[in-house]
Amino acid sequence: MLTRIVTAYSPRFHGVAISVAAIVLAFATASVLLLAGGVNPIVAYVGMAKAAFGSLFAISVTVNKSLPRLLPALGIALSLRAGLWNIGAEGQLYIGAVACAAVALFVPPPAFPFGVLLALAAAAAAGAVWAAIPGVLRAFRGVSEVITSLMLVYVGIQVANYLIEGPWLVPHSTFPATRMFGSAFRLPILMSGTLLNAGVIVALVAAYAFHFITSRTMFGLWLRAVGGNERASRVIGLPVPWITVAAMAAGGAFAGLGGAVEILGVRGRLLESFSPGYGFQAIAIALLGRLTPTGIVASALVFGALEAGGAGLQVTSVGMSSSVAAIIEGLAVIYLLAGLGLVDAVQRRRAAKAELGKQQLPAAASVPRHDNGAGS
Amino acid sequence: MTLTALTLLIAATIGLAAPLLFAALGEMISERGGAINVGLEAMMLAGAFTGVWAASSSGSLIIGFLGAAAGGAAVALLHGVVCFVFGAEQVVSGVVLNILVLGLTTYGIGAVFGSDMTHSVPTLPNFPVPGLSGIPFLGQAFFTQNLMVYVAFLLVPASAWFISRTKFGLAIRASGEQPAAARSMGVDVRKVRWIVLLLCGALAGVGGGQLTLAGLGTFTQNVTAGRGFIALAAVIFGRWQPLGTMIAVLLFTLTEALQIRAQVMGIHVPYQFLVMSPYLVTVVALALFVGRMRPPKSLGVND
Repeated sequence: MLTRIVTAYSPRFHGVAISVAAIVLAFATASVLLLAGGVNPIVAYVGMAKAAFGSLFAISVTVNKSLPRLLPALGIALSLRAGLWNIGAEGQLYIGAVACAAVALFVPPPAFPFGVLLALAAAAAAGAVWAAIPGVLRAFRGVSEVITSLMLVYVGIQVANYLIEGPWLVPHSTFPATRMFGSAFRLPILMSGTLLNAGVIVALVAAYAFHFITSRTMFGLWLRAVGGNERASRVIGLPVPWITVAAMAAGGAFAGLGGAVEILGVRGRLLESFSPGYGFQAIAIALLGRLTPTGIVASALVFGALEAGGAGLQVTSVGMSSSVAAIIEGLAVIYLLAGLGLVDAVQRRRAAKAELGKQQLPAAASVPRHDNGAGS
Repeated sequence: MTLTALTLLIAATIGLAAPLLFAALGEMISERGGAINVGLEAMMLAGAFTGVWAASSSGSLIIGFLGAAAGGAAVALLHGVVCFVFGAEQVVSGVVLNILVLGLTTYGIGAVFGSDMTHSVPTLPNFPVPGLSGIPFLGQAFFTQNLMVYVAFLLVPASAWFISRTKFGLAIRASGEQPAAARSMGVDVRKVRWIVLLLCGALAGVGGGQLTLAGLGTFTQNVTAGRGFIALAAVIFGRWQPLGTMIAVLLFTLTEALQIRAQVMGIHVPYQFLVMSPYLVTVVALALFVGRMRPPKSLGVND
């Protein structure tokens, strides 16, 4: 059995510095690759910055691209508070998109805000159910949520593909997609001349909800209790299995909303492979954001800007522009993980020294080994 | 279904199994030692890329496969540094490596192969086993494959012997189940995990190389297309046993072969259900047979 992998990313070290340093280092490393590929990195980055922030329109694209990453990242962070690794946000995102498409395609359009709200609610509910499956298996059967949530990603994607290529396929389309949704089910554009849509409101409300749940509610406290020490939580009488299921389901609801915001706000219909791995990138974003809502919003914007900026990258082949963004993202998290490891080692050494000074004993042996687990 | 169609189906199932088998057996050994690689996909993809790179620059398929092994092992090395040296979660590192390697190999198509997008190498030819390939039906189905397919299947008994009969195999199992006990018996758990991880990377790399060097003869973006995750599922569905892993791989590639041949054979199941079946049956098996599907106790927990 995988033991409950409790996060070593406690709020103790909020270090924005370490995340920023990781991102800067990632850009530096990527410039070496760009040089090797015959591209001047400064020109490339200026091009990216222009494409990401050069105009109000560009900024709105950046924001739009950050939203489907931001929402699943909040969900992953929420589950992680309870020590649960929701690796399958990508699947929950697709199932959420399927649910909101079902509403948009088959419910008679109601008056303005209700159609969108209903579609959003359906997406959140579907994402929650999809994530609750690994939660239930974890809570009542002792099966690692890591593996089951990951496996369900590919089931979810194929469910979507089946519907898109089968019963929901719009005739005479050049690529597999459903028909366009009616305006009652679209997230409206907020600012004319830009692509900024009401999805940004959904995301901000979700970020606030995350903050509220984790810091102001009993449920948030339970999450941390279970994440911190599952055994102790059981002993004091917390319903640990149900908290586990609820933590996964709540995380899945955020991920489902991520799919809905992309579908209802940007695409206007359900189409195949609409996510290039938002749910997986969200894991990186949750960690770079140090599991805090503000940190996650900031990291999601960085990732959104990277993708929007990729379009402004003048490189030899089409695939290369999007790949630079992926490389920078991957490297940033690798550096973050290494940085966290370093900080941890330094802190342990300090703690060991302090202990020695206090006790006047050769007590280094009493310093607990870092086991990548609870209580950090 | 005619006999010829059945022969082709079996031959395809076995041929498709090879890349998965390399990766899954590597992952099986690694997980038995306590190291989980969600980044198996990344290792395969890296191997698929470096394999083509090495083969095209050297003109030799042997160098190509060595290059594939090196590519997979390089990703494993990075995974090991992040997890074993810096103490990061193995699962997170794996996910991130998948993103990073997909980016790197896509970038590499342009950077290494340049404008020659269909940069191709001669592929590994079929090698009919003398004598056996002449057997009617069976010869066509089983013994007219390329050389690395036979190697992949020979690795099944080899890895079974390695895991259960050798001293090092015992050290691997001890490191995966009870690292503390293993240490007290003088096993260097960290060293064992490094070895199984790098071995897994090399094998997964060869599996990726098998896709490009024995199959397509060229590297395309995301050529592995999720096969690393199927291999991961096969290890679980095969209950961390070499024979079980092989059976799982064959079951999964049978569905893949069916997808390709479904229309020819007049089967009307939407192919998406065949694509999702490996993942679905793995989840269902985990849910139903919990007691009999027990992963190594210290899987994914850094030493």
